[in-house]
Amino acid sequence: MNIAMNRIMKEFKEVVANESNGIELHMPEGELTRNPSNSSSNKKEIYLSGSLLGPPDTPYAGARFHVDIIVVDTYPFNPPKVRFTTKIWHPNISSVTGAICLDILKDQWAAAMTIRTVLLSLQALLATPEPDDPQDAVVANQYKKDRKLFEKTARHWANVYANGPTPEPECDAAVKSLAEMGFDEEKARAALSSMHWNTSDALESLCKA
Amino acid sequence: MTSYFDEHNCQPLESGEEPNHLLDLARLLLDSGIGAQFQLEFERIFGNVDGRKQPPAAKHIIENLPLINYFNNDEKCSICLKEFQLNLTTELPCHHKYCKICIIEWLKLVNSCPMCRIEFETDDKDYEEYKKQKQRLKQRQVELDDLHNSMFS
Ligand SMILES: [Zn+2]
Ligand SMILES: [Zn+2]
Repeated sequence: MNIAMNRIMKEFKEVVANESNGIELHMPEGELTRNPSNSSSNKKEIYLSGSLLGPPDTPYAGARFHVDIIVVDTYPFNPPKVRFTTKIWHPNISSVTGAICLDILKDQWAAAMTIRTVLLSLQALLATPEPDDPQDAVVANQYKKDRKLFEKTARHWANVYANGPTPEPECDAAVKSLAEMGFDEEKARAALSSMHWNTSDALESLCKA
Repeated sequence: MTSYFDEHNCQPLESGEEPNHLLDLARLLLDSGIGAQFQLEFERIFGNVDGRKQPPAAKHIIENLPLINYFNNDEKCSICLKEFQLNLTTELPCHHKYCKICIIEWLKLVNSCPMCRIEFETDDKDYEEYKKQKQRLKQRQVELDDLHNSMFS
């Protein structure tokens, strides 16, 4: 058994055994490892999934966000690849793909870190966005220029996509009005969010696309 | 009297040695009073020292890791998460312990301790130069702060 698999097994016991921070780690059903899709080598990657609870006093509070975790076969010498599968409105996470901009998943990774520390770091990232090192420029811009609107949008997304407890009726109504015109709801929401909830601007961008 | 070379903290070139204009330019900018503004430019050229453009640890460090046999029974290597074994365990200068094979594999990638991130020497000359410049910049800031405090307190 290689070191990556060995370590993941040990890590699993730790997370499952004593977790009280709102993070969860799951083994996949069925195959644990897969060959990377675009490679002919026999390197195995381990596919895990996890989730984290949005931290209190943030627009994400009470919502649960899911992530995909790919453990590369050189783990823990290289970081795991992590991506949000739950849609989220956050300066450092792509609102389209879920890709994450976080230093410890790139050049600040250290072999003593674990999947648990990664999940806890993501939770911390939700509480303290870094708009000057953005993954999603549109969100980062809104965060810097209109914090109230950013929080409203983030809360709306958390409510719709992540079971967040606080609905934003104005946002719901705006999305509904575009959906009734025949636009895809998800696309309508993304357009409205990017256009500061101005319906005619959102409409224009939807028609251009 | 101090020579030009002393004052500018650089060496005359050996015969046949190519001048490193980028490095000299960066040094000049950093040594002039407006250094801080150019630190970003320096980082753009040489890579951010805080990012993992961090080179591997120097060969002599990797080759001279000591074997140690003082550890508790339940102490574990934070890379493989296994308990330490006799004659297979080593300790870094920061006193963090690892299986020797685990830490060697890491130090071949990055020049820092995975637990405390303290940096070790590398064989990368540009990187060492960069570290020195950064240290100097920090030192200058400390001196400026001291001066400021002595004047205004
Ligand atoms: Zn080890
Ligand atoms: Zn250390």
